[in-house]
Amino acid sequence: MSRKPEEASCRLTIDGREIVVAADTPVIDAAERLGIMIPRFCYHPALGAVGACRMCAVKFLDGPVKGLQMSCMVGARDGMVVSTTNPEAVDFRRQVVEWLMANHPHDCPVCDEGGHCLLQDETISGGHALRRYRGPKRTYRDQDLGPFVAHEMNRCIHCYRCARFYQEVAGGRDYGVLSIARRTYFGRYEGGRLESPFAGNIIDLCPTGTLTDKPSRYRARRWDLERGPSVCLHCSLGCGLTVGARYREVMKLEARLNPEVNGHFICDRGRYGFGYESRPDRPRQPRVDGRETIAGAALAALAEGLKPFEAGKVAMVGGTRSNLETLAALLGLCRDQGWRPPVFFRDARLAGAAESAAAALSGDLVASLADVGRADVILVVCADPLAEAPMLALSLRRAARRGAAVLVLDHRPCDLPCEAERLTFAPQELAGCLSRLAHAALRGRKEAAAYLSSLPLPPDLLPETALALDTWGKRLAEARFPLVVCGTDQAEPTLPALAGGLARLLAGSHDQDRRAGFLPLLPGPNGLAAALAGGGDLEALLADIEDGRATALLVVESDLLSRTPEPERWLAALRKLKLLAVCDHLPSPLLEAAHVVLPSRTVFEAGGHFVNQEGRLQRAMPVFSPGLPMGRTLREGHPPRLFMSCAPGSEPRPAADWLKDLAGLLGAGGRAGDWADLAAAFPGLPGLAAGPAPENGRRCLPETAPGADAPSVAKTGSPDVPPDHLQVLLVERTFGTEELSCRAPLLAASAPEPWVDLAAADAGKAGLAHGAWLLVPLPGGPLRARLRVHQDMAPGLLLLPRDPRLLWQRLAGTGVLVELLRLHAITAEEEPAGEDTTLEAEP
Amino acid sequence: MLPEMVKLRRKGEELLEDGLGLLRPFATTLGMLFTRPITVQYPEEKRVLPARSRGRIILTRSPDGDERCVACFLCSAACPVSCISMEAATREDGRRYASWFRINFGRCIFCGLCEEACPTLAIQLTPDYEFSKATIMELVYEKPALLVDHGGKDPDYDFYRHAGVTEKGEKGSHVNEQEPVDVKRLLP
Repeated sequence: MSRKPEEASCRLTIDGREIVVAADTPVIDAAERLGIMIPRFCYHPALGAVGACRMCAVKFLDGPVKGLQMSCMVGARDGMVVSTTNPEAVDFRRQVVEWLMANHPHDCPVCDEGGHCLLQDETISGGHALRRYRGPKRTYRDQDLGPFVAHEMNRCIHCYRCARFYQEVAGGRDYGVLSIARRTYFGRYEGGRLESPFAGNIIDLCPTGTLTDKPSRYRARRWDLERGPSVCLHCSLGCGLTVGARYREVMKLEARLNPEVNGHFICDRGRYGFGYESRPDRPRQPRVDGRETIAGAALAALAEGLKPFEAGKVAMVGGTRSNLETLAALLGLCRDQGWRPPVFFRDARLAGAAESAAAALSGDLVASLADVGRADVILVVCADPLAEAPMLALSLRRAARRGAAVLVLDHRPCDLPCEAERLTFAPQELAGCLSRLAHAALRGRKEAAAYLSSLPLPPDLLPETALALDTWGKRLAEARFPLVVCGTDQAEPTLPALAGGLARLLAGSHDQDRRAGFLPLLPGPNGLAAALAGGGDLEALLADIEDGRATALLVVESDLLSRTPEPERWLAALRKLKLLAVCDHLPSPLLEAAHVVLPSRTVFEAGGHFVNQEGRLQRAMPVFSPGLPMGRTLREGHPPRLFMSCAPGSEPRPAADWLKDLAGLLGAGGRAGDWADLAAAFPGLPGLAAGPAPENGRRCLPETAPGADAPSVAKTGSPDVPPDHLQVLLVERTFGTEELSCRAPLLAASAPEPWVDLAAADAGKAGLAHGAWLLVPLPGGPLRARLRVHQDMAPGLLLLPRDPRLLWQRLAGTGVLVELLRLHAITAEEEPAGEDTTLEAEP
Repeated sequence: MLPEMVKLRRKGEELLEDGLGLLRPFATTLGMLFTRPITVQYPEEKRVLPARSRGRIILTRSPDGDERCVACFLCSAACPVSCISMEAATREDGRRYASWFRINFGRCIFCGLCEEACPTLAIQLTPDYEFSKATIMELVYEKPALLVDHGGKDPDYDFYRHAGVTEKGEKGSHVNEQEPVDVKRLLP
């Protein structure tokens, strides 16, 4: 990065063509830049070279290295002359592929890799068309690696890509290499589910059919898939995906290379979080008062129904999982009709935190996921990376492997795949701790005076904790590239502003070529756009509906009832509404209560733009047209023998189109082109004006944030928690809690059993043991869940995941306190038989 | 010889050739009157076609009586007119099969590329050519109509005897396979 190209570049000749690359670039990479693809199995740009497969042999004719060499193992040097087509190299590669194929099990017809298999391609292109070896073949027994990865060891060519990824990149410990020489085996010590939440990447990495995708096993060939680039919606990072669909059903998602965001990999939540688009209970038909109708009639009924209302009594709720087009249409509708501004966030705290994070972001400060890997001191505040944005954890590991120091300040037992220092505080103490850290980092800096004076007072800390915070403050001040990560899901509204302000001042403390970064985690894939759009929060809206200040409600792609801690109160409020219209593609109890239902399309069918937490505008392409999956239309075991112009169940339309047509019926003024509308709806994202997103996205944030130099910070007071009481906090988990992926049948069926967390000190007081079944008395009724006890967790908290399999909605309110001694373990006879823990309301 | 003479002689030869050209077909026709006719009185009489002639397509079975097709999609990929469609699935016993398989004979050009592509010898063309229909929908054949109860042209081949997957037979039990490796053995 800082290396100057003149010093370190070198000129080499590959197949008669010259190229200038940085010194020590693997020759295989240099050739690829010329468009020459040297055959390879073990080399992968994200994993580096090991020289295991011997497939990338080329002939070095002149220069510092001579003779037949592996092009992945030789770094580029000045004056190298390389031939990839030299007869000696070609013959060598032909023989390599022949001996790699000697034990191949001859099962391509039933192998899912067939059609996109590197081994197939290299075998044919290497000229090995007929088997000469007639001896017995080596065989291996396979293992059951869990619900996502299918294992067929006979096909393995021992390239070590899977083990290198799993252990080095993802930090997993339960999968690797066993035995030696001819018996080398890739697997676990004993069969069982792969523990790493990034395990799915070994499917993409495996150049053969040894590791294949289990959910799409035996279902389709790559050449039959309708494929297109997309964006992951399961957190705010916006990782690149390639969607593969067949017969109106998503078959699989693969990682799409986006160097500044996810690199080559994605997490399993993103990879297997699909399937909600083909649920049998997905709304596919417009409905008015419970009767199915056609699109035009439903819209006309809605427009007619909205006319009698005063503009100030019509409210709209949007979701952060909607695409930018939908959000813009929603904002435009509210503005043109004079309705109340749309509501995106579940409560005032989250709305405040998201808005303060968005306000602290600017182009000069924001860090991409790739930047995390480049940082040398990383401060993670109020974020649980693995649960809220799993790919962030992978980036933190990348940074840690390069020598970065990572500090996590959080109240949860954050599990990270890398070495990190953990300091646990109660959520309301975090701002104070950050203040102590900031004082240590910015001591003696004149320009920081205003910021430091705005900080809350640090809480009373243990001397060693205070010392640790001071040490880390100094480390941040001395860092070459300090980075601050701040979550919003659990944060006090001012915390992201404090964290952003600290990052901004750290950046200011450096020379010109040094920098600092700020990476907030926002709620939902379009959380930044929603936060910039402002608006109220759902709690305030609920109060307004109860008081009759809002009498008509339009809900667009937002899960009111299944995400709120107060479903009963919401249901009662919804009954007071004179008009409730819902536009969504997820099934929810809200649809039953709605007067008008407009089925919308999922991201796979509608595509659209999304702005991730670094303000990067990215585009998802529509991959297939909506309709019932072929498998669900079979009659007598085969597709219906009919000629039809459209598929059954193809009524859903993009939510943005529904809203635009509604605006047309309501008599909106003249509209500019779609893209101009989009840019006008989000003045906080000036980069939108440049048009749709290019392949790897484009940052749209302003270069400097308005008023970013002096964050306006209100001092927060801590809530009074009586002694021996626990604050119940709703938290996210890697699997099973996120809004879309918890509706994905694959993840719902395989997510680990939900549990609640308690600090060891509290568990000791209440006499509760790790792994016990617990009965938690909540205001809405008792909740049964398995208990996990943690040493590294702030005391005074009970962490409850928003998992639909738990009855967490019995919380019936926010800020709920539970008396510690009223928690008790259930005896063996009382233990529920599984189905007891499922939520009846969840379809 | 004088040039005129040469010219005249050539002319005469041409005339003779032309005349013979007129008469020879009559002679052939006349001769054929006394040979056995090769015309077959179709449809009353039917010829037996060679086994490799390309007519109606079937799905054959392996020697153990199980269907051979593993729904690998190679036939549908090879088909130049895209008349083959199917959906692959996992059967209850774990093997890969086609949950439905459809050939549109209204579109099929009987080129035989599907048969060439088939790695399990499942899809085969038969000499049967007599299946014209009154409506085009009747030419769309589903799997039960395609699947026959014999092995077709190569009745002895069984893909699963050779492939090293466990669907039929454990690892190490297929043709030309060693016992599975014991990965926990410490000896070199």
